[in-house]
Amino acid sequence: MTILCVRFQLPPMYEAALPQLLGLLEEFTPVVEALPPDGALADLRGAERYFGRSAVELASVIRVRALALHGVDCVIGAGPGPMLARMALRDARPGVTCAVPEDAPGEFLAGKPVAALPGVGPATARTLCEYGLDTLGRVAAAPLSTLQRLVGAKTGRDLHEKAQGIDRGRVVPNGVSRSLATERPFTRDELDPDRHRRALLSAAGELGARLRAVDKVCRTLTLTVRYADRSATTRSRTLEEPTAHSASLTRTAYAMYEALGLQRARVRSLTLRAEGLAPAEQASHQLTFDPVDEKVRRIEEVADRARAKFGPRAVMPGSLAA
Amino acid sequence: MPGFTHLHTVSGFSLRYGASHPERLAERAAERGMDALALTDRDTLAGAVRFAKACARAGIRPLFGAELAVAAPAPETDRTETSVRRDRRRAPVRGGAFVDESAPRVTFLARDGARGWADLCRLVSAAHTAPDTPLLSWADNHAGGLTVLLGPASDVGRALAAGRPDRAAKLLAPWREVYGDALRLEAVWHGRKGTGPGSLRLAARTVGFAAEQGVRPVLSNAVRYADPGLGPVADVLDAARRLVPIDATKELDSGEAWLKDAGAMRHAAERVVEAAGLRREAAHRLLEQTRETAAACLVDPEDDLGMGAVHFPEPHLVGAGRRTAQRALASRAAAGMVLRGYDRRRDRRQYWERMHHELDIIAHHGFASYFLTVAQVVDDVRDMGIRVAARGSGAGSLVNHLLGIAHADPVEHGLLMERFLSKERVVLPDIDIDVESARRLEVYRAIIDRFGTERVATVAMPETYRVRHAIRDVGAALSMDPAEIDRVAKSFPHIRARDARAALEELPELRGLAGEKEKYGKLWELVEALDALPRGVAMHPCGVLLSDASLLSRTPVMPTSGEGLPMAQFDKDDVEDLGLLKLDVLGVRMQSAMAHAVAEVERATGERVDVDAVPDGDPATYRLIRSTETLGCFQIESPGQRDLVGRLQPATFHDLVVDISLFRPGPVAADMVRPFIEARHGRAPVSYPHPDLEEPLKGTYGVVVFHEQIIDIVDIMTGCGRGEADRVRRGLSDPESQGRIRVWFAQHAAARGYDAETIQRTWEIVEAFGSYGFCKAHAVAFAVPTYQSAWLKAHHPAAFYAGLLTHDPGMYPKRLLLADARRRGVPILPLDVNKSGVAHRIELVSEKRRASVWGLRLALSDVHGISEAEAARIAEGQPYASLLDFWERARPSRPLAGRLAQVGALDAFGANRRDLQLHLTELHRGARGGRGDQLPLAGGRKTASAGLPDLTSAEKLSAELGVLSMDASRNLMDDHRTFLNELGVMPARRLRDARHGETVLVAGAKAATQTPPIRSGRRVIFSTLDDGTGLVDLAFFDDSHDACAHTVFHSWLLLVRGVVQRRGPRSLSVVGSAAWNLADLLEVRREEGLEGVAARLAGAPGAAAAAATTAGDGDGGGPASRGRSAGTDGRPAPDGATDREPGERRKIRMPTGYEMHPWADLRPAGEGSAVGRKLWHQSPGSAG
Repeated sequence: MTILCVRFQLPPMYEAALPQLLGLLEEFTPVVEALPPDGALADLRGAERYFGRSAVELASVIRVRALALHGVDCVIGAGPGPMLARMALRDARPGVTCAVPEDAPGEFLAGKPVAALPGVGPATARTLCEYGLDTLGRVAAAPLSTLQRLVGAKTGRDLHEKAQGIDRGRVVPNGVSRSLATERPFTRDELDPDRHRRALLSAAGELGARLRAVDKVCRTLTLTVRYADRSATTRSRTLEEPTAHSASLTRTAYAMYEALGLQRARVRSLTLRAEGLAPAEQASHQLTFDPVDEKVRRIEEVADRARAKFGPRAVMPGSLAA
Repeated sequence: MPGFTHLHTVSGFSLRYGASHPERLAERAAERGMDALALTDRDTLAGAVRFAKACARAGIRPLFGAELAVAAPAPETDRTETSVRRDRRRAPVRGGAFVDESAPRVTFLARDGARGWADLCRLVSAAHTAPDTPLLSWADNHAGGLTVLLGPASDVGRALAAGRPDRAAKLLAPWREVYGDALRLEAVWHGRKGTGPGSLRLAARTVGFAAEQGVRPVLSNAVRYADPGLGPVADVLDAARRLVPIDATKELDSGEAWLKDAGAMRHAAERVVEAAGLRREAAHRLLEQTRETAAACLVDPEDDLGMGAVHFPEPHLVGAGRRTAQRALASRAAAGMVLRGYDRRRDRRQYWERMHHELDIIAHHGFASYFLTVAQVVDDVRDMGIRVAARGSGAGSLVNHLLGIAHADPVEHGLLMERFLSKERVVLPDIDIDVESARRLEVYRAIIDRFGTERVATVAMPETYRVRHAIRDVGAALSMDPAEIDRVAKSFPHIRARDARAALEELPELRGLAGEKEKYGKLWELVEALDALPRGVAMHPCGVLLSDASLLSRTPVMPTSGEGLPMAQFDKDDVEDLGLLKLDVLGVRMQSAMAHAVAEVERATGERVDVDAVPDGDPATYRLIRSTETLGCFQIESPGQRDLVGRLQPATFHDLVVDISLFRPGPVAADMVRPFIEARHGRAPVSYPHPDLEEPLKGTYGVVVFHEQIIDIVDIMTGCGRGEADRVRRGLSDPESQGRIRVWFAQHAAARGYDAETIQRTWEIVEAFGSYGFCKAHAVAFAVPTYQSAWLKAHHPAAFYAGLLTHDPGMYPKRLLLADARRRGVPILPLDVNKSGVAHRIELVSEKRRASVWGLRLALSDVHGISEAEAARIAEGQPYASLLDFWERARPSRPLAGRLAQVGALDAFGANRRDLQLHLTELHRGARGGRGDQLPLAGGRKTASAGLPDLTSAEKLSAELGVLSMDASRNLMDDHRTFLNELGVMPARRLRDARHGETVLVAGAKAATQTPPIRSGRRVIFSTLDDGTGLVDLAFFDDSHDACAHTVFHSWLLLVRGVVQRRGPRSLSVVGSAAWNLADLLEVRREEGLEGVAARLAGAPGAAAAAATTAGDGDGGGPASRGRSAGTDGRPAPDGATDREPGERRKIRMPTGYEMHPWADLRPAGEGSAVGRKLWHQSPGSAG
């Protein structure tokens, strides 16, 4: 009963607030793992003794503080391990912390759908449901060998253990959010490639600015195109080098977009996500003899400063100004 | 001031391009003082006949033409940059590629009479031989009788728009070479900016370029719609054609492309000439050139299109040899006489006289080749072993019977030749033949092989916009959410698009939608504007054109999309106007089903059943028919027919003929049914207006049922002859001529000595029923398969159901037929890969003493997503020893194998169904290497268990519904039995014993819903529920529509409260007063228990309103509501009825004074009958 899984009820697009909220958790324990975009795991093993309260009681304290300090409500699940805490979170509501009983986690899990289990993605869940293993109770009852035949040796073993309530995970402290996203919705079905590219340019510019603001670089860029029929296409590409340079983000976004070759697709929104964030000082940068690259980066730096002073629309690419 | 002639005008027949009907264009042209108008549709001449007729009505001269996409001259030396770019284009991951409209388009006008028309037909046909979109290759691009307009969309026009007169000159050269003096340059000014099509600068450049090149320029307006203000509609059509939404930021339609009058066009000419830097007189010259071009295009609809003339295949092709067709026909008819033994009968004189009389009529019209042609086709079809039967009035001709075209002997059944063809009647006769639907295309190919593609073509059938498609296309053009569009479209019944807003106002089931009407903005306006515009063209399901070798010079022909058969662009009415012989070859599924049943009986038992030779008067068959359990029987399976059959209690073939004739909208609306039934059961006396009329009316108890009886009555009373009598009968449906006929009838009857009272009474009968009777020849032709199918159902039930399920002929979903089979004690055998065939089969289940019980084995072809090749492969490889054996030899796809396992087709291999799935997956993973066809030597017989949970019984049923669309193992309602018992729902079986007027609850899966026209002029929703124990027929009268209509149309499982109404021992229906979606209630029961259900029943607004209605109905129940709805309109309006007022006033008056509800007789809202999964709750993540 020592691990808490917290989900802050952050409005979307406010991921930037997460680090502060994590700071709040760190007042209780140093072992905090961020679950971007809006959650975190906290190991309260030491804190229970220190504060003289149980984890569930501490959960109330955390909620009160989050509301008082940041005006953000949160939902909290508690359990003996991170996996169980996350499962508990599903049943929790604001103000009601759900805790998994330490002695019989298997019973708690038995009625839950497999898709709820952390680490079971849609593909695995679909496979399991196809074979009638739609609840964790049934998964726990199925022979290990059958599970391994279904989903592979390692996943099968993990699944078998997890379904039984054996939680071997630990909370691994990490830094702030590992990804940033921005969306560009269209008011109507948009087919025009020029307007698509313009949206990508502005989204990449925003991502770059946000990354630079927190001194991060990203390693991977993901483009999600949403269509009128509510379906979506997702493409990821790893950048040549981790960067926060808007121009190279834009270039990568364009390349991904061109590869889709869209013609009549009715696009309703474009989402760009920067993933694999790392501190900027750890990033390497290939220098060239070409002075242009250097100049562009200098200009970007200046533009950032101008924007900081005069607002985000002070400096922008010409094609977006129209 | 002389009028202006528009040389470039498209109508709605230019699919998703033109926004006005040809009739509208012709009317407007006449109104605006023009005396000629050209119709130049894109890639088609389909509108030509309608246009010609409309022009004749409007009093203007039609010009015919077409706008075609033209390929560049063949030796393309310089690869244009566009083609390079197209090659490089990447295949889109989503949404598909743009519709390619890059080919330049040119307008061709027919000039030199028949030659011009023939050239036009040839060019259009040639354009349609291109793969994908129609494109005229340069090799075909030559014609002596055509004038060519090179407009802004042509290659020359594009070069000019691009500011490249040099290139334009180079592109013009090949055109000049081919068309010389017949070439024109077309200037169009739509008030656009820039230099693109429709801009003033391009128009000016065109005129200047024409002067420079010495080519004559003409002015046109490239008309797309008749009236100003239709620009937004053109935008929607553009969007629908290109499959993209309207982009307001891009160039939209200019709104100028309407049929402008002469003044506006002269103004345009002046502006263009001025911009070209020429003097004002040049404007006159431009208009003069346009006028001269129009004047030169002389194609006469009668002489040159061949309207009004008749063209039959040449006699030598239909077995006449060197004789004349008439001689050949006479000798074949005589031979038929001998063959059928009529020459040896006692009444042979009657037969010979009738034959010679008919031959005289045929000779009079010169239709002998027609009869020989049909006989030839029928012979060919029969030689192929395909069941064939004639239907229609042609069955009344003895010659047809003697030639082997019609089965029934017309003399014996009292059928008249005059109903079909007489000297007085000057229209093309038509003989329809029914063939097995599954082999219809084979028949078409045989006809084409016999007569050659230059004489045969199928007939087109334009698909026009109705409300649902219009909403879909407009919604997509306006960037509406696809799910939203779908919901709105499905809420509507299948009505005309122009009625969209009226329906929103008036229909109770659309009330919810009407509330949010404003949200959709101009959607409704645009939807209504699309009304009846063609949106596609399909092959007519039965018409085949037969002509002499000149067909291709009179008709443009294109290949059909699926089958690649040649198809004329004209529809069936046009074809008749053009004097082309059309033979209707209908594919009838019941014929296929019977053929399959007979083949199954022979395969399984070795017994050969000849349904054509079944003796009449089989007691078991009539017992079955009288029991009204006639599901699946031809023509008598609908709820209304079952009701009628129950009241009529047929006992002979003649009764069936009468039954089929009575069940038509006309007789039902005119209530001919009730007096007939009263007289038949001896409850009312049989009376005749005059003893002379006893002969024709005797068979139907003095009630007029058939056309033939009217003909006979008129003939007897006036002595005018039957040919004339048939003309009189046809005149009866027109109120104007009715008055004249009345006077004529009274005079002649009086002259023959009938007294005034008799004449008066007879006239009343003739007047009331004349236009409603049914052609007896039709009815006899229909009754034959009706009797045959009922005979099969009575004697070979398993084989009959096998045929039905394989060819699915009826109005009911397959699962209902299966439920019927189960009720009639036919064992349903599950799908099994070792036993099931491609089609449904019969199998011996048990042999008790002499009676053997045959079961129905389900077919592989019903498995969702199985391909024909897969089914055939599985059936071929039987039997399979093990799962491995099956996998390796039948080679099913992985999803198919999974589905087979789910429905238990692999149960024979051991293990449970989920374990089998797992094994299949592993086989699939292992088999990716591919091992070939060799028999596996290793491999155990049984499959080991993997310890997975088996499918629960509910999951099995769900899988059956999902995979087979049928509940094969048991009825799906059985699972809800406990809940239904809790509610006190009455099973259909026990409903038979319910009292008249008793209020009951019934429940079941909805099978069919209709809103047919009925006598009272109200809208009544008829629906049929299946609850596993039988069928419940429901009727909802319009006082319950507010509460029920939406639920009834949009739910699959229904719970209905209603009042039992009896009209005979076997005739029973439930008049519904409240309806609930049973699927919802089941969900509530499962989750919230009975209290939740109670809350739902108490609280639902629909139910509350319904409760009020039932309270109003009180104990009077059925008859009260029936009487009221059949009665006067004067009842006090309940509150909220103001918005229904227009609906009640707007009634369609039928010629005889009966009223029809405006929204009756339409396919109702919702999605038709339920298939598969929709009937089952979706439990989260089960069964897969």
